[in-house]
Amino acid sequence: MSAALLQWRGFKAATGLGWQISSNWTSPLIFLLYSVLRPLSAAFILVVMYRVISGGAPGTGAYLAFLVSGVAFWSFVQYGFAGLANGMAEDRGEYRMLKYVYTSPAHFYSYLLGRGLAQLASALASATIVLVVATIALRLPIDPIRVNYPLLLAGSFLALLAVIGMAMAYGMLLLQARDSHGYGDIGAGVLYVISGAIFPISVLPGVLAAIGSLLPLVYWMEIIRRSLLGSNAIRMFPTLSDGDVLLRLVVTTAATLIVAHLVFSWADRSARRRGLIDMESNW
Amino acid sequence: MSHPSALRIFLKTIVARGYPRFVSTHRNRAWVFTETLLPLIGTIAMIYVYRALHAPARYLGFVVLGGVLLAFWQNVVYSMATQFFWDRGAGNLELFAMAPTSLAAILLGMAIGGAWVSLTRAITILLVASVLFGVGYSAAGLLPALGVFVLTISALYCLGMLLASLFLFFQREAWNLADAMQEPIYFVSGFYFPVRSLGAVVAGLGSLVPLTLGLDAIRQLVLPGTPQFIPIGWEILAIVVQIVLYAVLSQLSLRYMERQARQDARLILRST
Repeated sequence: MSAALLQWRGFKAATGLGWQISSNWTSPLIFLLYSVLRPLSAAFILVVMYRVISGGAPGTGAYLAFLVSGVAFWSFVQYGFAGLANGMAEDRGEYRMLKYVYTSPAHFYSYLLGRGLAQLASALASATIVLVVATIALRLPIDPIRVNYPLLLAGSFLALLAVIGMAMAYGMLLLQARDSHGYGDIGAGVLYVISGAIFPISVLPGVLAAIGSLLPLVYWMEIIRRSLLGSNAIRMFPTLSDGDVLLRLVVTTAATLIVAHLVFSWADRSARRRGLIDMESNW
Repeated sequence: MSHPSALRIFLKTIVARGYPRFVSTHRNRAWVFTETLLPLIGTIAMIYVYRALHAPARYLGFVVLGGVLLAFWQNVVYSMATQFFWDRGAGNLELFAMAPTSLAAILLGMAIGGAWVSLTRAITILLVASVLFGVGYSAAGLLPALGVFVLTISALYCLGMLLASLFLFFQREAWNLADAMQEPIYFVSGFYFPVRSLGAVVAGLGSLVPLTLGLDAIRQLVLPGTPQFIPIGWEILAIVVQIVLYAVLSQLSLRYMERQARQDARLILRST
């Protein structure tokens, strides 16, 4: 069997496994409800907060769209980052099968990519439903015919690569701890604050805003809003063209993937040396 | 040989089950970190949303107080409602069921210990967020607000005991359902905005969670200018009713669920 085919089979099995772990605890309908309940509620929290302050003044659609689009697409980070990082700890502590995956012929990266892809599939349903419901209910200025799909897809592909890369490195780092439950969510929470998901990063103190601008997620958020809303989009980087934002996304994604690979490799070596891959973590 | 009285066993059970929670306040550093940081990060994110909207300063106070009570809600959901699920997975539930004591005493110990743990986290969140963002409170309302807070937490943990008995029947879905109870409750309880904004029907339904009325009353007391949902007196009365109601319901539900769980052999079912 060729090496590529071997990796493909490992990747496919990991994707199926990830999907089963995420979803087979209930019926598909309940799972769908579960997937949209949290982001939909999060979006409505922001909508009410905005309405309380703006008093329902006319012309508020653009800012509401800023909030809703950020929350809707954040599902990808929540599932892809926190879900994958937590999943690695669960594979070791709860299911006690990380050591078997690790010693299987497929590369560990193939397994984690597959596991991450399954998480992103859940996020896709969630983001789509939140966007559709909010656009109709709040009459947001999102026109499906005018959406810049190539820009949206290109930006999302790059950003999700970065999300999975960051999650792998973070998840491997979390394996250094005996009890890291909840740390995946803390990581996603920190990214939520500094990535311009629900407010422009210019509101943040200088240091945090600077850190945020080094992450690909902030440029992804900008691309999402520009591609969905066109000229109605509230811009975090008004002086940058679409091409400039995409270029920054490419550069920061490449840098993130390199750093993630270095961190992952270091954490991997450390975990092997210290015997952490099959550690009993008293789940 | 003389046997200890039922009351003594009940009280000793409360102390015994509460003890690990008290100790975990400082011993399990990983949990100290998550239990404090998770609500704090959510609070900070919402504060920045209001800042971006140029909201009046008291709205930052709304968010901080919401973040404080959020620590309690997370404790009730993850360490009360789902606790028997974890205990069953670890093999403790069958030991609890065989011990010469009641599950009600175990739950009560869990609630008292859990409330203490959450209090330490909540104080940290209150101090850090208030100092970081310069949030001020009305000194005159602090003492009455403390009284409302104690009532609210009592009602909340009674609700937690009720949820714990209901969760006895769940398998792998327990954890996911606990997750699903986060943002929707933050929304209907008005954690980050005055609950009055939701209108009478939604806010009324949200009032089934004691935090909704408690949070509104506390905000009215320490943050003057808070839009009033219902008068404070009525809110306090409703919370007292909830304490009694949820306490009684939790005991009835616990007895029923325990009997059913014995019949269906769910007390020893490994679900993880």
